[in-house]
Amino acid sequence: MSLSILKPGVQMTLQGAPRKGSRHLGVPTSGPADPLSMALANRLVENKSEATAIEITFGGAALRFNTPVSFAVTGALSDLTLNGVTIQPHTTHTAHEGDELQMATAAHGCRIYLALSAVLDAKRFLGSSSTYLPAALGGHEGRALMAGDRITLDSVRLVPAQATPEDLHPVSSNSYTLRAVEGPDFSRGSEQIWAEIYTATQRASRMGIELRGMFPVTEQVENRPSSAIWPGALQLPPGGNGFLLLADAQTTGGYPHILQVARADRHLLGQIRPGDRVRFLHRTQSQAVDALRAKQALLANWLPEFTL
Amino acid sequence: MSNTLITFCGDDALRLYVPDRATRFTRARQLEASGYWAEVVPGRRDITVQFDPHAHTPDEAMQILTSALRAPLQHGQETAQTVTIPVQFGGEEGPDLASIAANLNLTEGEVVARLVEHPLEVDMLGFTPGFAYMSGLTDDLEIPRLAQPRQQVPGGSIGLITGQCGLYALPGPGGWPIIGRTALSLFDGRAEQPFRLQPGMRVTLVDAGSP
Repeated sequence: MSLSILKPGVQMTLQGAPRKGSRHLGVPTSGPADPLSMALANRLVENKSEATAIEITFGGAALRFNTPVSFAVTGALSDLTLNGVTIQPHTTHTAHEGDELQMATAAHGCRIYLALSAVLDAKRFLGSSSTYLPAALGGHEGRALMAGDRITLDSVRLVPAQATPEDLHPVSSNSYTLRAVEGPDFSRGSEQIWAEIYTATQRASRMGIELRGMFPVTEQVENRPSSAIWPGALQLPPGGNGFLLLADAQTTGGYPHILQVARADRHLLGQIRPGDRVRFLHRTQSQAVDALRAKQALLANWLPEFTL
Repeated sequence: MSNTLITFCGDDALRLYVPDRATRFTRARQLEASGYWAEVVPGRRDITVQFDPHAHTPDEAMQILTSALRAPLQHGQETAQTVTIPVQFGGEEGPDLASIAANLNLTEGEVVARLVEHPLEVDMLGFTPGFAYMSGLTDDLEIPRLAQPRQQVPGGSIGLITGQCGLYALPGPGGWPIIGRTALSLFDGRAEQPFRLQPGMRVTLVDAGSP
């Protein structure tokens, strides 16, 4: 039993649980760039939130189901068809053997998630199936999926149709307002960062997104001692642009770490695409954690075992 | 240790300034052993810990870390594990050794001799999986990074910059001048402990001579 990749789009990878407790080894978290969307897809096929699913950047992809299986699509908005018939995201569908799923190029957002009511065969590293391309860890042979690849499916089930509750559908947009706290290298004179509207450049990957706009001038120190760095960090490398780190970001860095996107809003980073606008909302540490708990409470009924 | 500086590092992490290497590793082991922190990541001067903001507020996490620092450090296990790594220096394996030596007015042999003289200490792993930041030559020997980073550095490569030596566990891009390479596997994805090196270990480089 398997799934065939006909067209992978810009980038298609298998993602599952983030790698935890391995940053001191230089091993990034990885996992879905937008974990909430992946959890919503998995929920519709009665999987655990962190079950291995397929992450598709920008859509423009096609897959064939070689066995009857239920599936659901969430994340970036893209027109979907199953054997040429339009189907809706955020809804469970059941494919027949040989059915083809087509995803148009995403109109908004960056990453689409496809979850199946089956166990997707993937390489595991440090207990996680998530693909980390730079070191070829996890996923399908540690690499991005290509046309002609077949993913073996185990424990295939069929599940009843469900839909994501309306109020949990993510709002798709070309502009993001992200709550953030000051980073360890925030200094006097950095305040302008809260007023500016930044634009995501073409340099965008699972490692990070470059932002253009007016950034505070910080002290650049040659051979600055490296410290731990996390997804959600905004770094200021030389050159004047900012770099917002994502799931595959390096674990340590020596550039000024000027702000940190609050944990409550980090899942949104995976949907920012080149050209999108980004604004940061100043929060204190305790406000940020209050926001996290409020969002978590909203998700608790529908996604009881998912944590932001 | 009661005056140790702790700062927030975002809304779910705290940073502890610990410039002394030995103290930093003992402290990192202690924090890791407590099982309380989601991540304990030593840097070159500090340790950053991540807490679970669903379970604790930032202020509570700060209190927990502050009281953890009151516990005396177990300086008993100071015999750091030493790993011996045979290295082919220079030539194809170390394409930048000749230019580093020339810039320092030393011979290639003299640069190598200074590097293998004492065991190096692993400060931290970071950047990419298994990349080991180690102590290197003395700070007065200036070795800049490459002006143009290489797209692909072979796994096992040894890089050298001012004050630091770096070990590439995996092939990948790299901006450090490369002085040699080891054939020893530094990474095994299927092993229980995939990385041969850990922060706090000592590394003795041995000149493996010509291939």
